[in-house]
Amino acid sequence: MAAADSPSAALRRRDLCSRGIRLAGKMRVDVIDLLDAYVERQGLDVSSLDSSVAAVEGVPLAAVERWDEQTGTQRLLENLAAYRAFRALLAQMLEEQREQLGEADAGLGRALASVLLQVSAFTYHLEELLRLESRGEGEEEEDRPAPPPRLSIFEQKLRGLGVLRELAQWAVRSARDLRQLSKPSPATGTAAGLAESP
Amino acid sequence: MWKNSSLRCLLALAILCLSLVYSQEIGSLGDPQNLKCVTHNLQEMVCTWDLSSRGRRGQTDFLCFKTKERRVEIPLPESSSRVTIKSSGTSFPTKEFMIHEKDISFVPVTPRILSLTPDFSTSTLNLKWSDNGSVFPYGLDALWQIQILRKETMEEVTKVTYYSKLTHEDVILSWNWTSDMPLECTSHYVKIRCYINATQFLGPKDWSDWSPAEVIPGKDSEPGGSGVFPLDTVVAVGSDVTFCCVHEEDQHITNMTYGSKPYKMIQLSSRSHAIRVLNASASDTSGTNVVCHLENGMDGTVVFVGYAPDIPQNLSCETSNFFIIKCTWKPGRPSGLYGERKTKYSLFERMSGKNVSCEVNEMNRDRTCGFPVLPDQKTYDFILGVSNPIGQAQSSILVDITRRVHPKTPEKLSVTGNNSTSIQMRWFINGSFAGIRLLCQIEVSSGRSEKKLVSVKSLRPYTKYQFRVRCSSADHFWKWSDWSRGLEQTTAEAPPARGPDIWRERSPSGESLKVFWKPLSISEANGKIVSHEVSCYLLETLLEYKVVPEPSNSTEIKLGKGDCVISVIAKNSAGPSPPSRITSMELPSDNVTTDQAVAMGNGINISWDSYPDMTCGYIVKWCRSSGSEPCSVDWQKFPSNATNAVIRSALFKPGVRYNFSLYGCKSTGYQLLKNVTGYMKELPPKTAPNFTVEETSSDSILVKWEDIPIEECRGFLKGYLLSFAKGEKDALKPRLSESGNPELKVNNITDLTKKSMKILDLQGKTSYQLELQAYTAGGLSPPNSLYVVTKEDSVGLIIAILIPVAVVVLLGVLASIFCYRKREWIKETFYPEIPNPENSKALQFQRNICEGNKTLKTLEMNPCTPNSVEVVETQSTAPKIEDTEMMSPAAETTVPEDGSDSEMENHVVVSYCPPIIEEEISNPPMDEPGGSSQVVYIDIQSMYQPQIKQEEEPEIDLVTTAGYKPQMQLSISALKVEGHSPVEEELDKTAGYRPQANTNAWNMGTPDSPGSVESNNENASFGSPCSINSRQFLLPPKDDEDSPKPINTGWSFTHFFQNKPND
Repeated sequence: MAAADSPSAALRRRDLCSRGIRLAGKMRVDVIDLLDAYVERQGLDVSSLDSSVAAVEGVPLAAVERWDEQTGTQRLLENLAAYRAFRALLAQMLEEQREQLGEADAGLGRALASVLLQVSAFTYHLEELLRLESRGEGEEEEDRPAPPPRLSIFEQKLRGLGVLRELAQWAVRSARDLRQLSKPSPATGTAAGLAESP
Repeated sequence: MWKNSSLRCLLALAILCLSLVYSQEIGSLGDPQNLKCVTHNLQEMVCTWDLSSRGRRGQTDFLCFKTKERRVEIPLPESSSRVTIKSSGTSFPTKEFMIHEKDISFVPVTPRILSLTPDFSTSTLNLKWSDNGSVFPYGLDALWQIQILRKETMEEVTKVTYYSKLTHEDVILSWNWTSDMPLECTSHYVKIRCYINATQFLGPKDWSDWSPAEVIPGKDSEPGGSGVFPLDTVVAVGSDVTFCCVHEEDQHITNMTYGSKPYKMIQLSSRSHAIRVLNASASDTSGTNVVCHLENGMDGTVVFVGYAPDIPQNLSCETSNFFIIKCTWKPGRPSGLYGERKTKYSLFERMSGKNVSCEVNEMNRDRTCGFPVLPDQKTYDFILGVSNPIGQAQSSILVDITRRVHPKTPEKLSVTGNNSTSIQMRWFINGSFAGIRLLCQIEVSSGRSEKKLVSVKSLRPYTKYQFRVRCSSADHFWKWSDWSRGLEQTTAEAPPARGPDIWRERSPSGESLKVFWKPLSISEANGKIVSHEVSCYLLETLLEYKVVPEPSNSTEIKLGKGDCVISVIAKNSAGPSPPSRITSMELPSDNVTTDQAVAMGNGINISWDSYPDMTCGYIVKWCRSSGSEPCSVDWQKFPSNATNAVIRSALFKPGVRYNFSLYGCKSTGYQLLKNVTGYMKELPPKTAPNFTVEETSSDSILVKWEDIPIEECRGFLKGYLLSFAKGEKDALKPRLSESGNPELKVNNITDLTKKSMKILDLQGKTSYQLELQAYTAGGLSPPNSLYVVTKEDSVGLIIAILIPVAVVVLLGVLASIFCYRKREWIKETFYPEIPNPENSKALQFQRNICEGNKTLKTLEMNPCTPNSVEVVETQSTAPKIEDTEMMSPAAETTVPEDGSDSEMENHVVVSYCPPIIEEEISNPPMDEPGGSSQVVYIDIQSMYQPQIKQEEEPEIDLVTTAGYKPQMQLSISALKVEGHSPVEEELDKTAGYRPQANTNAWNMGTPDSPGSVESNNENASFGSPCSINSRQFLLPPKDDEDSPKPINTGWSFTHFFQNKPND
């Protein structure tokens, strides 16, 4: 975080944070809806899958230890990494969904596209925040990871479920991160020091 | 086996005399024996035998000839052969065998599997082997038996027989087998053997040995191999499918589900389990999940269950533009497969060999596919191929595209030329139609009708038309295109088709002529009429010329008394109409009648006689309006042979009088023939006629009325109704006709010329209500009412006054005469000089009063004992007592019929009547329950006794207390207010009287009592009965001031009499 925030920068950051919180809230609601639709359309039995859906490769876990000790920049960078991964994964999901279902389930495709759009918008939002922090990190998107090996359809379904679940978690965490960021902090780079945890 | 080098060596060393030999021992024991000969290729044989003496057993070469070559072909022996076996280099004897053909076995060489290739996606094994046909001298039928085994225990799954022909050369045979279980589930083994059906071979034939088993190892034998199989497969609805779950050795499988349903597992190996789903039903769009639940995880696969594609139905191909041939079809039953598994279509044209892949939307019911039109090709032979992972189908069609032209919707419809009766149009259809002729339809409709025309040449001038176009192939009709967008266009104007219909009327003064014309219809006007030209010619001389702009439809010409021929021309922008002419001449007419007519149906019927001299027809003229409105002339022409006309007009209103004039047309002018007044419908008159009373007498009324204005008649007047009946003027009174008055009389006056009427036979000085109504065929008008009072009959009145007066006078005279004559008797009777009480009428009067009550005996003129006052208790007031208990018979019994019978009770000796009596007489209706009215006489001697007794015996009969209550007693009672008992209250209730003042303040004395003397207060004693009757006897024997004393403040006539002697 900038050492001496100018009043306009602080205002801008607060504005970005508050808008980001709203975006995250909306995204979580939509992802939860999409998750329900996804589970139903893919014929997945959530109760039996709960323990079996592994973490999605390439996505940082939303739940972290010592969350309250993270700096604002760390938060933003983690968020950015996660949402960039989500963006790629959702795009892949959308492509696979088109391959597998064609025009048969256009509703699910539209919902996926909508969430993908929100994730893209949120990623851009995070990049803006990071730029405001004058850190410069994360401005350039990292090299795209190598395309994952071809998965079976069942594995694609499970991975999609995992992506959406993790995205829902991240939407909550991002809102809290942004809320933490929007609070005035006494010093640069220090942890927010709040007991709150995601 | 033929290639085995040891066998070749053996054969090289062997001496074969003939062909295949079966040995028959003919030597002694210990010699070579059990000779067996087998051929594998029907050309060579291998013989074996035993050497029993030395225990040797084996194959020994036996030589027929020697050869240094490595290969020797020996033809099969034709018949039986003798074989001598001699071991070389030994001393054993030679052994001879007889070998027959039938003793030689034919066992093909064991086949060898060339390759066994698995296709895991389809669970198919491909087996390849060589038939070794080249080793046989001729073609043979071969049978191949293939055995499929599964699991580590090599359980046989199936054994199939494959037929082939050996063609004297080596052929690689191939055979596919699709497993009902995914090949990954467990290891699969394949073995093969053969049997050659050599019919010419006489010896025994046998199957070859099984080939060594070829194995396709399952995932369960692969270290680290795991998964659920088959992977992402597609099966047909109704299939039986086996799914297996391969896992690690250390994992334990809990269950397997298909969809959401768990299935019973079959163990294939320690690492592999399977479930079998029978008759699989169609899956959802995302497939059916098959999940293998492990203790510490899960795995799964997705299966898509759908249908093979249906045969395309209604395949049809056409072109709209000769660029693209569009084929359409209905896909039939949906396959239930989507995305990359969806049904794919391709259009193959056989003549050109061109194939086109079709992109179709699987959610559409109709599918289309385009194929480019090829140059110089008219006929196309299409095959529509349909396929999906489950199956495929096809449909074909042969089309000549010149006969399958369905043009696109014409566009850019525009008008290029326009006159009053035709329009030139142009449109555009996208396509290359140079090779064919097009037929186009133009729909023409105007606002007035939906008439469709093929030609657009016979249009009407100045008419708005809507056009639209569609086209098809002219030579070979296939389909019309869609209609183009509509185009509106109005044709140009043309001169009016005819002159206007005209009429003329002279002004009442005759100085001017008003010319009327009717507007031309749209179809006749051929445009917008801008003006009318009116000319007036006398012979060829133009007297007057006027241009009247629209919208006026009349003009006035100053003509004087002369006549002329009037010409009217209508003009629009295209030109003038032909002129319409009419002469102003009106021929004289006589005996013009006026008829009445009422509409029958929707028009007013006017009829007339035939007038032969009316050569140019008739005209009926009328005013469209009536009454005070200015006449808006309308007319209608009829031919000369017409004798009636029905005049219809939407402007005709019911209840309005219209005047029609019938004119006959002659060459010289028009002649009025008759007038007709008519109504479209008759209504009741709007108002009643105004009427007045002209004259009134004691028994008649003369009524006069006025005519109703024509506008208010609303029909032909039929008459008047004059109703009258007795009645006072009252605003609330209903109409006479509605009152139901039985005396109502109605006069119906049908003579319309009559304007007055005299009503006779009325009563004098009586109010009458008159009502007058007019009526038409439509009904009665509202009534007009008047109230008239007839005059008094003076003679009767005089008689009625004079007769009673005369009678009274006469009676008065007679009474005077009688009184005068009987004046002595009257005086004696009524006014004697010395009043005799017995004759006193006044007293008699009193007695009569008392006689009203039978229990009362008043004015018993017993010798008056001055020293006693006799009091009777009258019951005349008894009914006034409200308490019914006081009316009990017991009360009557206590009151003696004759007061003299009991001195202890109320005394009946009368010396006077109490003053209250006079009050009762003077004011009988007053029913005061007070003691004053009840007190008649009081026995002074005993007046205290009852009171005392009453005090002592409260339960004394109430009647006795009801008749009178000494007022002192009441005062006592009043003093005992605090000690009121219920009985006392009851007594209070029974008391008909309450003290009117404080009894304590009363003076107990009489006027003559000592007290009264002392006080000399007469007012205090006034009204007391005691003080009135006798001052001596009113005093009790023993003066007791404390005793209650009755007080009466009343005054009586008897008082006067009683005092009189003392005076």
